Amino acid sequence: MGRVAELERRQSAMELHVINSIQQSLDNNQPLSFQALASLRSLIINPATPDSTLSSVLDALTRSLQLNRDPVFLHHAVKLLSDLASHRPHLSPFALDLLRSDSLFSSASPRLVGESLSVLLSLASIGNDMDAARFVSLCLGPSVSVRQCLLRNAEKLVFRESVLLAVFLGFTRDPYPYVRKEALDGLVKLCKNGDFDDRDVIEGCYCRAVELLRDAENYVRSAAVRAVCEWGRLLVICSEDMNKQDSSDAVFIQLGCMVRDMSLDVRLEAFEALGKIGLVSEDILLQTLSKKVLGINKDKAYKPIEGLDISVSAVAGAYIHGLEDEFSEVRMSACYSLRTLTVFSLRFACEALNLMMDMLSDDSTVIRLQALDTIHHMATSDHLKVEKIHIHRFLSVLVDSSSVIRSMTRKILKLAKLPQFELFKLCIDGLLGNLEIYPQDEADVLSALFHFGRNHGKFTVHIIEEVAPEMEPASGGKLSFDSTRVAAFLVLAISAPLSHEKDVSAIPPRIFSYAVTWLGRISYGLSDIMNQEKLLAYLSECSRSSTISLADFKINEALLTVEGDASIPLCSKVDSPVSMPFWKDSGGISDYHHQEFLSLGKSAAHAEYELGEHSELRKYVNLIFKKVKDSWSLVELGCTTEACKGIRACKEEVASFTTESPGSFGAVAFTLQYLQVIEMLAKVWGHLRATKMLNPNGVGKLELLFAKLDRRLREISNRFIGLSKGEELQILDLVLVACLLRLSKVEICCCNAAMKLLSSTVAHVEYLHKEGSIEPSNFVTEVKKSLHDADSSSSSSSCQPLLFKKLLDSFSLQQFVLYGTPRSVHAELAVPGNDSENPLPFIPGIPASIPLAITLHNVLTESRLWVRISMGEESTQFVFLDLNLIRNKKRSINVVREFTFVAPFYRTPKAVSFTVRASLGLECFRENVDRVKVFGGPKCELTYLCPEKEIFLCKSTECKSKSAFT
Amino acid sequence: MAIDCLVLGAGQEVGKSCMVVSINGKRIMFDCGMHMGYTDSRRYPDFSLISKTGDFDNALTCVIVTHFHLDHIGALPYFTEVCGYKGPIYMTYPTKALAPLMLEDYRKNMDRRGEDEQFTSDHIAECMKKVIPVDLKQTVQVDKDLQIRAYYAGHVIGAAMFYAKVGDAAMVYTGDYNMTPDRHLGAAQIDRLQLDLLITESTYATTIRDSRYGREREFLKAVHNCVAAGGKVLIPTFALGRAQELCILLEDYWERMNLKVPIYFSAGLTIQANMYYKMLINWTSQKIKETYATHNAFDFKNVRNFDRSLINAPGPCVLFATPGMIVGGFSLEVFMQWAPSENNLVTLPGYCVAGTIGHKLMSGKPTKIDLDKDTQINVRCQIHQLSFSPHTDAKGIMDLVKFLSPKHAILVHGEKPKMATLKERIQSELGIQCYCPANNETVTIPSTHYVKADASGTFIRSCLNPNFKFSTRSSTDKSYLDSNKSKAVSRLSVSDDRATEGILVVEKGKKAKVIHQDEILHMLGEKKHEIQFAYCIPMPMARTEDLSSTSHMLCGFDKSTLISRLSMILSDELSEGNILDLGEELQVESFRVSVCSSDNCPHRLSSSLQNGSESVFFCCNWSVADEKLAWKIISIMKNSTL
Repeated sequence: MGRVAELERRQSAMELHVINSIQQSLDNNQPLSFQALASLRSLIINPATPDSTLSSVLDALTRSLQLNRDPVFLHHAVKLLSDLASHRPHLSPFALDLLRSDSLFSSASPRLVGESLSVLLSLASIGNDMDAARFVSLCLGPSVSVRQCLLRNAEKLVFRESVLLAVFLGFTRDPYPYVRKEALDGLVKLCKNGDFDDRDVIEGCYCRAVELLRDAENYVRSAAVRAVCEWGRLLVICSEDMNKQDSSDAVFIQLGCMVRDMSLDVRLEAFEALGKIGLVSEDILLQTLSKKVLGINKDKAYKPIEGLDISVSAVAGAYIHGLEDEFSEVRMSACYSLRTLTVFSLRFACEALNLMMDMLSDDSTVIRLQALDTIHHMATSDHLKVEKIHIHRFLSVLVDSSSVIRSMTRKILKLAKLPQFELFKLCIDGLLGNLEIYPQDEADVLSALFHFGRNHGKFTVHIIEEVAPEMEPASGGKLSFDSTRVAAFLVLAISAPLSHEKDVSAIPPRIFSYAVTWLGRISYGLSDIMNQEKLLAYLSECSRSSTISLADFKINEALLTVEGDASIPLCSKVDSPVSMPFWKDSGGISDYHHQEFLSLGKSAAHAEYELGEHSELRKYVNLIFKKVKDSWSLVELGCTTEACKGIRACKEEVASFTTESPGSFGAVAFTLQYLQVIEMLAKVWGHLRATKMLNPNGVGKLELLFAKLDRRLREISNRFIGLSKGEELQILDLVLVACLLRLSKVEICCCNAAMKLLSSTVAHVEYLHKEGSIEPSNFVTEVKKSLHDADSSSSSSSCQPLLFKKLLDSFSLQQFVLYGTPRSVHAELAVPGNDSENPLPFIPGIPASIPLAITLHNVLTESRLWVRISMGEESTQFVFLDLNLIRNKKRSINVVREFTFVAPFYRTPKAVSFTVRASLGLECFRENVDRVKVFGGPKCELTYLCPEKEIFLCKSTECKSKSAFT
Repeated sequence: MAIDCLVLGAGQEVGKSCMVVSINGKRIMFDCGMHMGYTDSRRYPDFSLISKTGDFDNALTCVIVTHFHLDHIGALPYFTEVCGYKGPIYMTYPTKALAPLMLEDYRKNMDRRGEDEQFTSDHIAECMKKVIPVDLKQTVQVDKDLQIRAYYAGHVIGAAMFYAKVGDAAMVYTGDYNMTPDRHLGAAQIDRLQLDLLITESTYATTIRDSRYGREREFLKAVHNCVAAGGKVLIPTFALGRAQELCILLEDYWERMNLKVPIYFSAGLTIQANMYYKMLINWTSQKIKETYATHNAFDFKNVRNFDRSLINAPGPCVLFATPGMIVGGFSLEVFMQWAPSENNLVTLPGYCVAGTIGHKLMSGKPTKIDLDKDTQINVRCQIHQLSFSPHTDAKGIMDLVKFLSPKHAILVHGEKPKMATLKERIQSELGIQCYCPANNETVTIPSTHYVKADASGTFIRSCLNPNFKFSTRSSTDKSYLDSNKSKAVSRLSVSDDRATEGILVVEKGKKAKVIHQDEILHMLGEKKHEIQFAYCIPMPMARTEDLSSTSHMLCGFDKSTLISRLSMILSDELSEGNILDLGEELQVESFRVSVCSSDNCPHRLSSSLQNGSESVFFCCNWSVADEKLAWKIISIMKNSTL
């Protein structure tokens, strides 16, 4: 102890000495010596130095700054101040004030300004210190490093777009390449954030970027590629409709010129950019797959802008080159960008498939995977036409040593629809081969066979006829069901009745009974489609009669809804073992693509995934959200069906996610709900935004769609808790869009209600913005503004469909990024012991009591719950469920609450027996929309937390069994 | 200044590449190859054209060899040891390592054929001692003025393109190169350089090749089908390059398909070459470099050494045997044994020299081949022709030329008619002057020459500060003219005027100097002259009172009233410009107008004097820049009354 005290004493003595000597020299108007500066620095970086000493250090520095103008000294002073600010946060305001002072930041020496600027920037504390004039004058100064630094941070020093545009565009002429690069990067950022509609400006920027594509420096060229891409897209947008296609083609070709650049980075950028250009003519797309200039493209020149003529031959074989590039990063990028382009042309997709088949034998696993992903993408957008020459190469991937690749291949097979039996048989053989070599894949192979069989009803029946002898019990009456091969055929067989084709009754019923003996294994494989009970029910149903009437069979309905719009997942708990381990690292895969996804995610918001057991799941889920965002661009282009198909594929994938780990259920349920909302939104959008007039039949359908959309939106906004403000805001954005969509169509609009909802939502959004101090998105600001305008202009706020239509243009789907773990609010409702055989007793005319066993998940105590009991179409009654009372009676657990509630049913009919349907609803506070209410019922719309439960009641005397509940 | 290129070989032909370039007083010989098709004096380049006296050391600054193929290096020992060149020779490290193997192999074969020896083993060894190895992208200062740099060229291991710069003139000699990667080598890679001249090979001047995946697939299919049927595959190849590429391909396929059929290398050169390849990983493709830490791609797992006794061993196998084209040696020996069985397969390279057995097999499918008078071979085996090539195709050449955008291009190493086609394309599509000279011709092209100039302080200061200007460039779109609707196209463009502000002054007896434009007047001792326009126009007066004479009028209204009235009129009519009322004078930009009281104003047009009308004369003047504005104002003044 004594030693420590001694040390402390010594140190404070030293501090005193240093300070004193500095004070002395300052008092004598002498500049500080370097030695003094060094000791000051040691004081600053020593964490043990008390604050009082540091304050006097600060004073000393202030005084010496007034005294001394020696640039070397000032340089050191800046360094000291930056150290001080970073080591002692509470002293940093003083240090920063000094840095901003005239002697440093505003000094005449550009070097000093640069240094203090970079310190200020690194401490993220530059705000109003700079006005545009000062910024420009510093930029125009002779110091290159200051210029570069300023340009790089220009958007932090927020200025008007016009100033930034002028500065950036001007400095693309700078003789220093790094300044040119920063200027180009600045232009790219400006283009992404800004709002330009002056064609002259856009053309000017585009042309300048095109000029710099021929710069001598690699990094300038790659920046120029980005700039050409962004400004080119803007150029396309601002072109007249007639010229849109041509401009888009021209930009594509311009970028295509860069794929043969010698620099790896430039090539990477070029392919990435090619994928971003949406609308490209088929001729040009086909040209990218042929090194020889196609006849149709000969002498075809594009002229997007005066003086920028460009010939199609420039893109000749772009993708051929990209896919045989030496660097796997480039091949990857080419594969990826090809993916986005296959949507636009069937012919292109077919040609590209040839190349993809070659990529399946690439030596890098990541690229094989990306190639499969591209093929999968073609399949979901219905652009996959497999031919016989492909099928062998494709099936050879089924025996790939990497399990991820095999699983991806099967995923594609699940979607395949083959025209010939021969090909079908080859695929089946391939899957069987896979099963033989890798028995660990069994579950997924069975699932693949099921889907595959379902897609090819007739072929399946045909093949089952062929192999039927194999499946029969061997002689001696003993069932030799021990080979997985038989299991595979059984799965195939049972899939046939569920196909959409008619002539599928040829499967002998006994096969279904054989399948029953395999129930465990098969249901394990099919767990993403149906659970064991459903499967058993289905199998026994099928085995009973040779003519199956599937009309009344529930599975078929459910399966159809999976494709149409799945309201309720068939099995409440999806515990599938075949969850897609898509990007699960399987050994030495270099994670290039991973990084790319991360960087893509960043563009939506910073994607800093928190670590934890859900981070894996969250990553998959966020990948799904990214896909959704991608498909939205299709919706905007008018390809609703394709987009919906993509979303449905996502849904299937999400449904296959495992929900075993705690908390993952909510995330998966949320994702599914989100997908459903987007799908409905897409459908409505497609209906409304289509250019053709709404036909009268359509109105009814649209109403239906709207009703569904509203329900889904209600569910997503009320049935999940634990969402962050940002996440909530994104959902509210969707609500806004739904309102606007409704308002944009006179025929279906009930203006007042929708307007009310709109304004209440906007108010809520505003509240959230203030609360979380989040910058509102462009779209929201627009909506707010026009809402305000509408209010002020006419109090009646009559419908202005055109206004709302215009507003919709400013909407673009943001990528949803899931950070937290949303918890799903749901409930289970049961009447123990009640079924059609054991009904509850009642006396006609006298209220009956219905005992409900209720389990609530994640329901907050302040929420208002209603039990809705309805009998037929005509009579519905609501019973309020007071959660406070319940808590008093039963001990409640935080998340899950179980209790019994006896609900009265008042209007019992004069009948021997009847059924009622009961469900639990949650009142949605925000949506207090006027409507015809049942007296005494809820004031707001309800969101139902569980499926309806059918309850059987029977006249008391005729009750067969005495109920325990009376 | 000019660059002279003397073509000693590979002019409008393939073989004996050799080019002597004189560039700013330096003479560089690029490649020193031999022609494999000749055995007489045409085999070597005609060195006497370089120096009549044979004093090559003074005639040449250095020799640069791009890669180890004999048509690029074959004449080197002859040139150094027999002709006596002793100057520096540059080549890359792998080329230096592998060239002796090639030369030695060639010498032995020559020996075996009984031809007279051009050089000995010692010659090769001595020659190699003169070689200075260089690394990729290493700038070598050959002497005070000449610097050279090697860039990766693909083609074969160690192949390089060479950049040479003397003073301000720069050029690139590509040698052979490949713009697409193959299984073991990367694609050519070069920086964007400022070049006066590009000399490029043009083996495939008109061919455009498809994706290499298809070629690989065909080859693998042929081999797999053969071994699956129990046949033997003979792959006659040169020891270096192709053998390794095919072997990596097979090795990969064997691994993937889990094949166990043995792959053999015939003993000798190939094994030794593999050893070198293993060490030269740095010169291979990205993929091999990346995986090298875990597995050296040239460490073939399935490959074994071949023994003569195995020739007739039962069962399938794949054999790599030297030399290629089945010109003799071991590959011929095996071919004689295997050719009679139809189960077996022989793969041939894409190009075989006429006269070799390979060539005979390629041209039609002979059933019998006469080796010499006594021996005849029955050929029943399958033949597969490889379409692999380490040369770039026409598109690759175009891509490279486009990327480098030199001022001039010279094509060598190709066939004459095809080169002519390519030459046309380069000239018409890229606008680059292009030549394809024949052997022993000289092409002279102009070269860049920079003049050194001093700069004045003011100019330097103005250069440091950016000074960009935005302008809306207007031009009339001609295509609209015929539709009678001329449409002006305007575009925002930006220019930085720093350089245009400078003026180059060359005074007699003094160094050239760049000065700032503001200084020029001072320097010349001249004054600045400006052109001013002037015009005196009458403006009719509104008749307000019964006053008849003009002079009277002037008395009635003093000048400033008139001016302020005019100002009012102008501000009503004129949309642009800022009107300043200076009392006796109005000013809009540089346009000035004042009341003219002299009757003999020189700017007055006589015709404008009109009888009877009362007018006031205004004298206007303006400078050139505001001409448009001025005429606008004048037209307003003409059409209105005061």
